[in-house]
Amino acid sequence: MTKPVNKFLLKALLFALPVFVLFELMFRLGLWPVITNSGLFDAKVRHIKQQHVGDIKLMAIGSSITLYELKSDLVKQNFDIPYYNFASWGIQVSDMRVVLNDYVNEYHPKYVIMCATLGEFRGAANESYLNYFNTPRFIRNNLPEYFYFKNYNSIHQLIWRKYFEYPINFDRWGGAPLTIKRKDINRKMWDAHDVFPTRYTQANYIALDSIARFLSAKGVKFIFAQAPIKKSYANTPLYQQRLQAHFDKCRQIIESHGGIYLNYYSTAVFTDSLFVDQYHLQDAGARIFTTEVIGNLKSIIK
Amino acid sequence: MLFTSIIFACFFTVFFLLHWCVFSGNVRLQNLLVLAGSYLFYAWWDWHFVFLLIGSSLLNYLLGIGIYKTKNEKYRSLLLWIGLAQGLGCLLFFKYFNFFLQSFTGDFAALHIILPLGISFYTFRTLSYLLDIKHRKVEPATDWVVFFSYVSFFPSLISGPIDRPGLLMPQLVNKRIFNSAQASDGLRQILWGLFKKIVIADNSATFTNDVFAHYHTLPASALLFAMFLFTIQVYADFSGYSDIAIGLASLLGFKITRNFNYPFFAQNIADFWRRWHISLTGWMTDYVFTPLSVYFRDYGKWGLTLAILINFTLIGIWHGANWTFIFFGFLNGCLFIPLIIRGTLNKKKKVQQRPFRTFLNMAGMFLLLMFTFLIFRADSLAMAFDCYRKLFSVSLFSAFPITEKVNMAAALIAIIIMFWAEWKQRDKQHALQIEFVQKRPVRMLIYYGLVCFILVFSATNITDFVYFKF
Repeated sequence: MTKPVNKFLLKALLFALPVFVLFELMFRLGLWPVITNSGLFDAKVRHIKQQHVGDIKLMAIGSSITLYELKSDLVKQNFDIPYYNFASWGIQVSDMRVVLNDYVNEYHPKYVIMCATLGEFRGAANESYLNYFNTPRFIRNNLPEYFYFKNYNSIHQLIWRKYFEYPINFDRWGGAPLTIKRKDINRKMWDAHDVFPTRYTQANYIALDSIARFLSAKGVKFIFAQAPIKKSYANTPLYQQRLQAHFDKCRQIIESHGGIYLNYYSTAVFTDSLFVDQYHLQDAGARIFTTEVIGNLKSIIK
Repeated sequence: MLFTSIIFACFFTVFFLLHWCVFSGNVRLQNLLVLAGSYLFYAWWDWHFVFLLIGSSLLNYLLGIGIYKTKNEKYRSLLLWIGLAQGLGCLLFFKYFNFFLQSFTGDFAALHIILPLGISFYTFRTLSYLLDIKHRKVEPATDWVVFFSYVSFFPSLISGPIDRPGLLMPQLVNKRIFNSAQASDGLRQILWGLFKKIVIADNSATFTNDVFAHYHTLPASALLFAMFLFTIQVYADFSGYSDIAIGLASLLGFKITRNFNYPFFAQNIADFWRRWHISLTGWMTDYVFTPLSVYFRDYGKWGLTLAILINFTLIGIWHGANWTFIFFGFLNGCLFIPLIIRGTLNKKKKVQQRPFRTFLNMAGMFLLLMFTFLIFRADSLAMAFDCYRKLFSVSLFSAFPITEKVNMAAALIAIIIMFWAEWKQRDKQHALQIEFVQKRPVRMLIYYGLVCFILVFSATNITDFVYFKF
């Protein structure tokens, strides 16, 4: 190596070192590790490691609906089996296909339950999940910083998530409570009326079909629970028709692969006062929902 | 393998160490490394097309020798035409076949053809090589490694700049000596390119993609703002890429073609195209416009106008197989007509003498660009005209929603920084050539400030470089 090259490399290294040290300090000691672009999947991965989750019998998978509405304490009281809620916020059915492919092989569940509503069928797949699962396990476990660079979560977004978004406090089994006082409910989200279906819905149906087929091939019982939706969502015949078409489509997909389809859409049981927005139930509503789900699961889970 | 990806950073670090530490002093081994690295870089995207690159290089290498050695002028022309047919034929097939099929036959059962990455760029390199040999401007490469490396030189393989053989090939032949100042300048240029790409272009893209996808449901004010941002986004994206490419080449001891010369400070359309995508406009000027203007010289201003219209329509077509690009090129050609009529086409305006007039010209030029780049961005001409129509509505004065407010604020701050820095540095190669700042700590503060700005305010979604699809 020639002297000018040595000198240049040394200068470049010295320049990069403070940036690297500052980043590592923030990453390891300050902010949560960031693994994907999802606001929560990174945190869930960290929780799974902290809880040393091993083989489980009942695996819950899904987005915020499964996360908030499947109450872990009720599940554990009724089923004395290894259980963990792998759900994370914002995940789409297309993403769940990627996640399940890895998790089923790692945790060997006998039953997989997915509580979902329309939100999981509205968005595009997020490449970050694929990035995560396609990465060698050693890097996944030991160098989570890699994903910061790979998926470009800018630091201001990490700070925003950590300090300004609704805090997530996992219980031992990966579930989380959601309680928002009536006066604090975001009016915009309360009155929101998401367009459905979207241009991504078909891809999510295909992914659901793929999940059902995959689990059936693995000998895992797949239980799909349609979660409640606020009454005002289906306020026109057109929306009622679209909702019914969605229910029929999901039922047809699940049952064609030997899965179990459960529907809890009931505006009489789940009144508007139990919701925080058009899809998410308050903790009280979630307890009613979980109790009903458990009632059905008792005849399925042996 | 994007320049902004971690995998590229690893690849280049290894490449740099091999180039300067292992193979230093042996130019042939260094060239073989450049060649192997370039093919690996290209194969990372799709290894099948490496064979097309190799085949194209081999044919043009042999044709170059043939054209040079043959005395018979007719035979020389024949060999040149074979080369042109191969280069343009590949371009026509991969890039335009489906377009012509659909446009002129209305046949929508088009073939499933994948566009090889960077084909427009490396084809133009091989074409200029043959044309320059034919016109006896350069001699053919005697070493195949030199020529193959020239065609596939990875820093500029995917999105240019389009280097001419007269510039790059002698550098591949001559012994390379590590120049610390050049390498440091390369690093600075890379940093400036990353700032433009990751902070400005990608943060802007989040907004502009959303607006152009839903423009019919959004107010005209959102569309106008998206047009403003998109004009800057294209510049930040492409010039950012070029800065990174030039910086990488500098680190390896090469000096490649400058692609942008602060185009937003242009005083008129002719000035703009002298500063925008310089390697393409230079190429087109030498090989298309100049021969055409000579051919049409007897027709005076009409001949000049025709030459410019053909030249710019071809520049439009070069960008891609869509009527939007053709119309974009033609429209830009039309904008030259007032300059031709006034006889001011080649007059360079002096920037310093009348600052207010200079500023007005730049602002007017920017406004014009906003409206022409809308055609460039639109998916179809119908969409472009629909957008123009929408602009003339009362919703031009309505408020519009911005979802990623912090990203937008970061992008706008970064845009101000970019304009300020580039204006201050407009006589330099890039904005980070700040040797005039005497105090080293101040310089370091500027560099670290930029690094921190990139880390804190980078966009969440990194988009491909806009010019990759060309």
